[in-house]
Amino acid sequence: MNLEYLARNIDAKVFSRGRPMNVEINRIYAGDRISDLLSQAPHRTLLVTNLASAQIMRVAQLMDISGICLLNNITPEPEIIQIALEHQTLLMVSPLGMFETCGRLYQTIIEESLTGL
Amino acid sequence: MNLGTYQIIGNDFDQAGSASGSLKEQLKKIGADPDIIRRAMIASYEAEMNVVIHAYKGILRATLNHQQVEVEISDEGPGIPDIDMAMKEGFSTAPSKARELGFGAGMGLPNIKKNSDHFSIQSTVGQGTRVRFTIFLKPHEALESDHTHVCVVEGKCRECFQCLRKCPTKALRLGKGRPEILKYLCIDCTQCIAACESGALAMANTAIALPRLTDDAVLVVPPSFLVQFGPLVSPQRVLASLFKLGFQDVKITETWDLALRSAVVGFAREESNVVPVISPVCPAVINLIEMRFPSLINHLAPFVSPLEAQQEHLAGRQGVFVISCPCQYTALVSRVLAKKPDVITPSTLRSAVQPLIISGHNIVDDILKHPGPNPQDEKHVLQITGIEHVIHILEKIENGLIPDVPVMELFACELGCFGSPLVHEDPFLALARWQKSCGLSRIWGRAYRRKESFSPRSGVRLDKDMAKAIEKLSRIDKLTRSLPGKDCGMCGAPTCAALAEDIVLGRTTRSTCVHVIVHEEDQK
Repeated sequence: MNLEYLARNIDAKVFSRGRPMNVEINRIYAGDRISDLLSQAPHRTLLVTNLASAQIMRVAQLMDISGICLLNNITPEPEIIQIALEHQTLLMVSPLGMFETCGRLYQTIIEESLTGL
Repeated sequence: MNLGTYQIIGNDFDQAGSASGSLKEQLKKIGADPDIIRRAMIASYEAEMNVVIHAYKGILRATLNHQQVEVEISDEGPGIPDIDMAMKEGFSTAPSKARELGFGAGMGLPNIKKNSDHFSIQSTVGQGTRVRFTIFLKPHEALESDHTHVCVVEGKCRECFQCLRKCPTKALRLGKGRPEILKYLCIDCTQCIAACESGALAMANTAIALPRLTDDAVLVVPPSFLVQFGPLVSPQRVLASLFKLGFQDVKITETWDLALRSAVVGFAREESNVVPVISPVCPAVINLIEMRFPSLINHLAPFVSPLEAQQEHLAGRQGVFVISCPCQYTALVSRVLAKKPDVITPSTLRSAVQPLIISGHNIVDDILKHPGPNPQDEKHVLQITGIEHVIHILEKIENGLIPDVPVMELFACELGCFGSPLVHEDPFLALARWQKSCGLSRIWGRAYRRKESFSPRSGVRLDKDMAKAIEKLSRIDKLTRSLPGKDCGMCGAPTCAALAEDIVLGRTTRSTCVHVIVHEEDQK
């Protein structure tokens, strides 16, 4: 799955583009507990979370996470964007909440696999 | 090799994670496998966040040795009152500030444990917590265990093979003119040190002089030390001379041994549902049980060893411990306390105190008041000493053949600590002299419950993958039968079975066996 393609499909705003090699992912994980995100996120993963803190970016950096999707159209702190740019982690913000965002991501994946894109 | 030491500051969420980040860079530099790095990061980040959330400050130390990364995170903080509870998934005491940031899921410690190959935690309320974990760089070579204090002294080995034969867990190999200790099998007892006449095996990291003493320094000596000066110097006189070295107090360990005995007898009577209860008096025996007799772990009474109890009792005062064996050393230094204990060998203390002992005849009433065994407790206790007897007895217990003894005290050395190879007087004489000096006093020591439970130790792990391990096991079996079975030790392994295991694990080759070479040449 291509992260930028996913971002376009769920109308998310991209604040930082990841490394080209990291743009392809094979897993999406959603959660709001750091411990879960940490242990459930091998590389090539997109994390969907409400936690818009510098800590989440630190986790992304430690675990080589490909992308982070924040929710509810929040504006990330400049510090967070800075870290994302520095470590070339893709950072996007979805206009919707957790449930709807996950639903649209899921739908995109299903459609993609059906059309064989 | 040191991988770095990093400070962690409590409640500083901005910097949190930076220690783990630095560790990650180091691991990348040595080319660690991404999956290993991932596991290391989960464990180290969780441990680091625990310090940030709960403690005032802490230090993350990482070292690399024997193909494994060892990380220790120790903090100054409130400590954990109930470690078993803290290890439960979902249990958290994190404040709301941390929870808002997504922490406090109660998964921290369980996550560390899950992602490491070896995990330990110790905590003292009001002082701090220490978490240690080890991750093997090559999972299938996950063999080295840490923390033993037997070491090899270079250039002394005469290749007499005595240590190979004596080692109860077959943890020694002889190669390249020196013994090699397979740490994952070593139980830290004294058998090889006792067997070695050339001094090639010794206790690691021992100081050769007395440490600097503070005003409140307490010396802790075993009874065996006090009877090392021949028939003319009584224990009382040795004790008096020890005070001259500048200690504020000198404590004899006996009272702690006896306090433990009373506690274990009480435990056997009131709490335990297994027979016999094994007293945790000798750390080497505990190691032996954890490794070779894991089914007997529930027979161990949940107390700390007498020396550890004494250490706990000192509560921060400087303690100088005279130890009788490497396993006591390991037990003492692996505990978390604000102040590291000073550990010296009997011979170090002996050379310090010898000039202060006035020679001459004993004064008649020169009797040392110490409690001596309590007959009330003694009748419940069977003492077994010497590692061979101990193994024999443990096998019997395992088969349920000893239902008639409530409490067992098992010692790796013959006659307990009187038989330690680090003291020189004959153990029977030493014990007799000690018992003769017995006076009357009450037992003032006490037993302390263990905070962490005993846990089985894997010993040899042939392969991470169980299917492969089973295959290796059958190869070892087949190979053992093809070897001559003389257990001669010439190859450097103690038995043919041990050699077969070494061959299958790739440590050596079949051609180290002289009999195989001779046989093959005959066939040519």
